[in-house]
Amino acid sequence: MHIPDSFMPLSQAMIYWVIALPFIFMSVKWARKELDDTKVPILAALAAGIFAIQALNIPIGMGTSGHMIGAALVAIIFGSPFAGVLVLTLVLLVQGFVFADGGITVMGANILNMGVISGFLGYYTFVALRKSKLSITISAFIGAWLGLFVSALACAVEMYIAGTFPLAAGLTAMGLYHLIIGFVGEGLITAIVITAIQKSRPDLLDNSFLSAESGGVTA
Amino acid sequence: MSEIMSENNMKFLYAGIAIALLISVLAPFIASQDPDGLESASYDVIDEVKMAAMEEMDPVFESPVPDYAIEGHGKTGEVVAIVSGTLMMLVIAFVIGKLVKK
Repeated sequence: MHIPDSFMPLSQAMIYWVIALPFIFMSVKWARKELDDTKVPILAALAAGIFAIQALNIPIGMGTSGHMIGAALVAIIFGSPFAGVLVLTLVLLVQGFVFADGGITVMGANILNMGVISGFLGYYTFVALRKSKLSITISAFIGAWLGLFVSALACAVEMYIAGTFPLAAGLTAMGLYHLIIGFVGEGLITAIVITAIQKSRPDLLDNSFLSAESGGVTA
Repeated sequence: MSEIMSENNMKFLYAGIAIALLISVLAPFIASQDPDGLESASYDVIDEVKMAAMEEMDPVFESPVPDYAIEGHGKTGEVVAIVSGTLMMLVIAFVIGKLVKK
């Protein structure tokens, strides 16, 4: 879902930077407050893992493929959507500048879609489902899936405003492909990783359940 | 207590690096070559002339390793590119984490 520079006029690309920047700024503030020496290795491992998994396109049929984004996964592990914004911003910077994967002027839009929208929606859906007593595996799956799906719809709307996509056909195509990518690439992998962490390192997920924000729901 | 957690988090880091490197090495061989969701959608909804014009636009920034490929080095080049990117990501996130942490 990496928008290239040619898909959006510069003036609009700047607007998405203006929207994305406060989230990036707040993600740094989050790190200043929450990140300590013991958690830096977790952040580094997740950043490396997400860069690698984004190179692994999974076929979804219809001559199309897709890959995981990972913002929801990072947000669930750290118990804050800002962790997802921070990691996705770093990943998109390296992908854009080193590998020409995603544009430079449109990076603000890509950070907004993949870091902010998929991370926030994925995380808060996960928290809401946990509060209604759904299992951690199911909650992670649905949250991650919904986050990816809605970020693809947002991307389609941005493409419409940019004059690149027609509205209805753009929403239909982006929605259809990412509905499936969200199941396979985002939901399934997020659910597997979160379940594995819950079994091997339940302490890592403490923040996801015990913070006041998530209603103090315990695992 | 904190020492045990710190040690366990280092184990998480090593496991994470191992998984990330494994994916990086395998990706060029097993990843689908089909266009991704956004690209595929753009072929569906943008007419050919406009699409061709957009694809021919000069990049805003000349990336050193466009499309995770090193010219003339095939799959080996792709493995080197993705492994390098993964290691770069590891170092960047570690350094940024150390710099901004509380």
